Amino acid sequence: MEPIPKTLKALNWITSALLVVALYLVLFYAPREAVMGDVQRVFYFHVSVGWVGGLAFLVTAIAGGVYLARGDHRWDQIALASVEIGLFFTLANIISGSVWARPIWNTWWTWDPRLVTASVMELVYIAYLLLRQGVEDPDRRARFGAVYSIVGFISVPITFLSIRIFRTIHPVVIGSGDPAAMGSLNMDPKMRVAFFFSLFTFTLIYVTLLWHRLRLQRLAERVEQAKRKVLSA
Amino acid sequence: MLFQEASVNTFNYMLLGFSAILGIMALFLISLVVRFRNLCRDLEQLEGNDVNERT
Repeated sequence: MEPIPKTLKALNWITSALLVVALYLVLFYAPREAVMGDVQRVFYFHVSVGWVGGLAFLVTAIAGGVYLARGDHRWDQIALASVEIGLFFTLANIISGSVWARPIWNTWWTWDPRLVTASVMELVYIAYLLLRQGVEDPDRRARFGAVYSIVGFISVPITFLSIRIFRTIHPVVIGSGDPAAMGSLNMDPKMRVAFFFSLFTFTLIYVTLLWHRLRLQRLAERVEQAKRKVLSA
Repeated sequence: MLFQEASVNTFNYMLLGFSAILGIMALFLISLVVRFRNLCRDLEQLEGNDVNERT
């Protein structure tokens, strides 16, 4: 197997260090929120993993579009790798939100528009992976994946906008001062630093993971080629 | 604020929230490492078979 590129090695170290700094900022630098207490600190990472989920699905849709235009399978690999990362991060987003909701809303789960649309988005992309498995021909599979990823992306802006369009109890922290939202907060400067640093850190984590996942994909292709060689011999 | 409630103790929920996020990220990393190792092993075996058949 080809060795890990130096840039990727550097990214591994940089993202690990940034994650430690982000944890410090979130746990010790940002002040404790007056009403919610310590559980509010989950918000910084909760939003960051949600952002990575949406970004990953956006990259999938773009890669799908480029694949349809050029027919280059590398774009299909990028789409597949990105969906997998998006699914893990969206799951982390949903579960951490549920943990936050328990003391603030007094329930682990409620059928709020944001929670429903986020769950539907997760299911849409789980279906993407499952349905891909059912198509044997690589070209058809890639074409199907590309079209599905573009159509499926509709679920991402719907999830993002759900708290702005529908009546909901989910807080809109950025761009709204809705006093009816249960758990809303006004960020002070230290909170903003922790928040934007976390967003940046998780974006870099996404880039690093995507690179690793693409290397895995290339290795899987080499194994497939070796299998075909052995079978044809 | 005068009538604002004092902050409740939600420390354990905070720990649970961070454990969930970092745990799921760790799960993805572990799955990458396991798949990488399995594929490397498969490749070694397949390339070994190829060499054996040639000799």
